[in-house]
Amino acid sequence: MAWNDNKNKNPWAGSNQTPPELEEVIKDFKNKFNGFFSNKKSSGAGGASKTLSSSGFKYIFILVLLVWLLSGIYIIDPAEKGVVLRFGAFQEETSQGPHWHIPYPIETLNRINVEQIRTVEIGYRNVINGNRRFGGNISSESLMLTKDENMIEAKFAIQYKINDVQAYLFNVVNPDTTLRHVAESAIRQVVGQNTMDYILTEGRVSIADDIKEKSQSLLNRYKTGLLITTVNMQDAQPPEEVQSAFSDAVKAREDKQRLINEAQTYANDILPKSRGKAARMLEESKAYKSKVVSKSEGEASRFKQILAEYEKAPKVTRERLYRETMENVLASTSKVVVDSKANSMMYLPIDKLINARQANTQVFAKESSTQQNNQGGNIRDIFRNRGGR
Amino acid sequence: MQKIGLLIISVLFLVLSSALYTVNEIQTVIKLRLGEIVTIEESPGLKFKMPFVNNIVKFDNRIQTLDAPAERFLTGEKKNVIVDSYVKWRIIDAEKFYKSTGGNIARTNNRLTQIIKTGLKSEFSKRTIADVVSGERSEIMSNIVRLAKEDIAQFGIEIIDVRIKRIDLSQEVSNSVYRRMQAERQRVAKEFRSKGAEEAEIIRAAADKERTIILANAYRDSEKIRGEGDAVGANNYAQAYNKNADFYAFYRALESYKKSFSNQNNILVLNPNTKFFRHFNPQIK
Repeated sequence: MAWNDNKNKNPWAGSNQTPPELEEVIKDFKNKFNGFFSNKKSSGAGGASKTLSSSGFKYIFILVLLVWLLSGIYIIDPAEKGVVLRFGAFQEETSQGPHWHIPYPIETLNRINVEQIRTVEIGYRNVINGNRRFGGNISSESLMLTKDENMIEAKFAIQYKINDVQAYLFNVVNPDTTLRHVAESAIRQVVGQNTMDYILTEGRVSIADDIKEKSQSLLNRYKTGLLITTVNMQDAQPPEEVQSAFSDAVKAREDKQRLINEAQTYANDILPKSRGKAARMLEESKAYKSKVVSKSEGEASRFKQILAEYEKAPKVTRERLYRETMENVLASTSKVVVDSKANSMMYLPIDKLINARQANTQVFAKESSTQQNNQGGNIRDIFRNRGGR
Repeated sequence: MQKIGLLIISVLFLVLSSALYTVNEIQTVIKLRLGEIVTIEESPGLKFKMPFVNNIVKFDNRIQTLDAPAERFLTGEKKNVIVDSYVKWRIIDAEKFYKSTGGNIARTNNRLTQIIKTGLKSEFSKRTIADVVSGERSEIMSNIVRLAKEDIAQFGIEIIDVRIKRIDLSQEVSNSVYRRMQAERQRVAKEFRSKGAEEAEIIRAAADKERTIILANAYRDSEKIRGEGDAVGANNYAQAYNKNADFYAFYRALESYKKSFSNQNNILVLNPNTKFFRHFNPQIK
């Protein structure tokens, strides 16, 4: 406040002497500002130079003071907090709305946006190129070791905001860089305590939570005034060098399922078919049984009936049956009658006979079946009678 | 008069400005009188000093970060690892700090780098990679902090934290890690495929067995049924034919002749002196 009092004292108050150059300048000023500050006491132009100069000084001084004081008005946005320092010492923290502080060099104002969500990207950088797209993989940041001494490439996006402006301003050199360090350290630590499979599969969420917790506790320890809102694992993959082996393992899992499905398909194919086959076998056997039984019943019945007739006249019936049968047989076959009393050798060209027969049948096969009844005329029935003369 | 006034004002201003100084929230100030320390100002605000007699040195009292360059260390199993770490420290005793380092933060960082490097080296040489990576980071860090605390007490600073950011394997080690990972994945893949083959084979075999059993049972049942049929049939025949076996033989023989000699291609060579030709050749008596 000493300065302020100092300023309010008019150093020129006692002196009525003004250097001519200064007078010129003051005149200029006065003319310029006449519109703004119409001084009814001063008679404008043509007044005594002494009064003019002293009143001019006052005007200038008041004006400058006013401007200086007005420069202390500031408006804080809803998303912001203002921190006022007086000679470097913390004075007050102001939130949204219009405020006033004693202007520079006595008090200074820092505006900090406390709502804005800031992002730190680890393992990659967003390449903003018209629209957001992921790019710029940084393998030195994203490659890390897991508990089982495997390597993975993991990318994280960490979002945070400033929740304590004083801490943010006064405690740590470069809090935002500190956050990056802290996050990298926490990520490596958490990843190093988990196995690769867990990280790549079901562990994603819990790992992000662990990292958030660890990072936040470190930030609190350093009193950075930062609050981590979210930790996102953007991407976790095995490193490029082993990608193909990994995707083959995934394929192998599919293959396994495929093999099992194929076998299941095979089973589903053959079992119903064999059940069908079995049903057919059973049905056929039942049919056979039926057939055999019926046939035997029929034949037995026929025999019994014939037998009944036969027993009434055995001799005649027997003869008749025999004759009829022989007639039947001889009518439909070729015959050679040989008198067995002739003791000389006899040549029977059986093959020729058969061939002739076949040729005939072939010829006759072409003609109508009614003509075949006349075969008897064409058949070479050979009778060689060497009986007595 | 005015000139004199101005002169006085400016002199006054000069004197005042050299007699006043501000201490910021983030600063600690040492007031020196002709090179020797008089007071240490830690509370912020506007302060007075004797112009031209006192001069002041300002220090940043915030937490400083030393982001040491990545270093190569040997682990217990003689593998190379590249370790990147950072140190958080702060000036706690400005007087000591000023005396020992001349207030030079860069120089302090160099000293710290040396100390931390030594600490890390000894910690890593006692441990395997697995230990370092998974479990014992915090232990390593606290050990280093403890060691470093003794070394840096003279500088008037305190180490708040030492943390390992990254532990990377050297190229040749990471190549072998990749090879191992590949081999592991290949093993997993093979296992999947052969397990799949195994289960598929089991399913197929079970299906085949099922089929064989179904068919065999069906065969058994059908043979049974056929047998029943045959039995009934045989019984029927026997009952009928037993009434006159002699006539059955005759009758059956006739049936057989009919069946056997029904084809034109059969050639019968007959003796005319048989009973059949009795009437054909009257000489035969």
